[in-house]
Amino acid sequence: MLTLADLVFIMLGISALVSIPATILAIISRDLIKAVIFSALQSTFYALMFYLLMAPDIVLVYIAVSIGFMSMILILLIKKVGRYEKY
Amino acid sequence: MRNIKARDIIFIALIILAVVVLALPTLLGSLGPLPPTNIRSIAINYLNATYNQLNPGLWTSSPEAVAAIVWDYRGLDTLFETAVFYSAIIAALVLYRDILGEKDVLKGRGLSIVVQRATAISMVGILVVGAATILHGQLTPGGGFQGGAIAAVAPVIAIVVFSRFLIDRSRLSYKHLLLVRNIALACIALIPLIPIISLAIGYSQVFIFQNQVKAVSNFTFPQIIIDVPMGGTIWFFNLFEGLAVVSAFSLAVIVIFYSEEMSRKAIEGEDIGF
Repeated sequence: MLTLADLVFIMLGISALVSIPATILAIISRDLIKAVIFSALQSTFYALMFYLLMAPDIVLVYIAVSIGFMSMILILLIKKVGRYEKY
Repeated sequence: MRNIKARDIIFIALIILAVVVLALPTLLGSLGPLPPTNIRSIAINYLNATYNQLNPGLWTSSPEAVAAIVWDYRGLDTLFETAVFYSAIIAALVLYRDILGEKDVLKGRGLSIVVQRATAISMVGILVVGAATILHGQLTPGGGFQGGAIAAVAPVIAIVVFSRFLIDRSRLSYKHLLLVRNIALACIALIPLIPIISLAIGYSQVFIFQNQVKAVSNFTFPQIIIDVPMGGTIWFFNLFEGLAVVSAFSLAVIVIFYSEEMSRKAIEGEDIGF
């Protein structure tokens, strides 16, 4: 029988596991716009984890800053330096 | 399909190792039950000292435990966070001091009409959520900074969707935003001094930053206005912090979104030393 605590643990584990591929893809992606989107995806799962860890006030500021502002500033930077990473 | 190298395998193995090392202790219960089934003794102490409705000398009059504990114990964190945030904004503005308040040279028209209408509707929603978070800071999670950060997303998408040109023509100018930010910061600095004014109307002893009635002081901010718990000064701090954060973020965004021609003007001549 699943209790509430088990459910919280399972959701935490799933969000943590899904955030790892998102982080890896953000690092290895050559298309920087895609990297920003993966990074925002990872932030979304982290926000969910903060919510499950009962820090709703952190969630509110984390969503706005790490998904809104971070992505905006990075996309602006990418617009100035070029979209594809070459090396 | 590119051929798999040894370093890729090591990379994946290290990731899996890190996941296992973090997941095993968690699964074995190192964090304890989530959510906790009992209140720990330290939590009881904190709640007794901040959230104690039966003892008005300790009660912050904020019916939300997080706001109550921030007010009584973690206020210094918030003070330094705010100081770092405003220093960063001031640094960003100083970097662009030569072109601040100027109109951009580009005459953009923004995105298509469909995107503009949809954004106009959702912007109202963003502002309302931000305002609700700011004004209900003493009742619900979040407060001035959180609500301000939410509401500041609106000017960001406004610049992207409606173009810089419209922002330059609107009343959302550099001078107005700076005025709002300075007034809000001055109010944050002055609110803790309000109890001193009350000395003139007959109170014998008050404290700076005093919120509710204390054992040796009768001065108190209103606990309830009409039927809403106000949290005394907490509501005012939330309001002005929210205004300051919205205007500061908008200033930073407006500065960052200057076109390349304008941004270059700001750093002209730095390579030869002036």
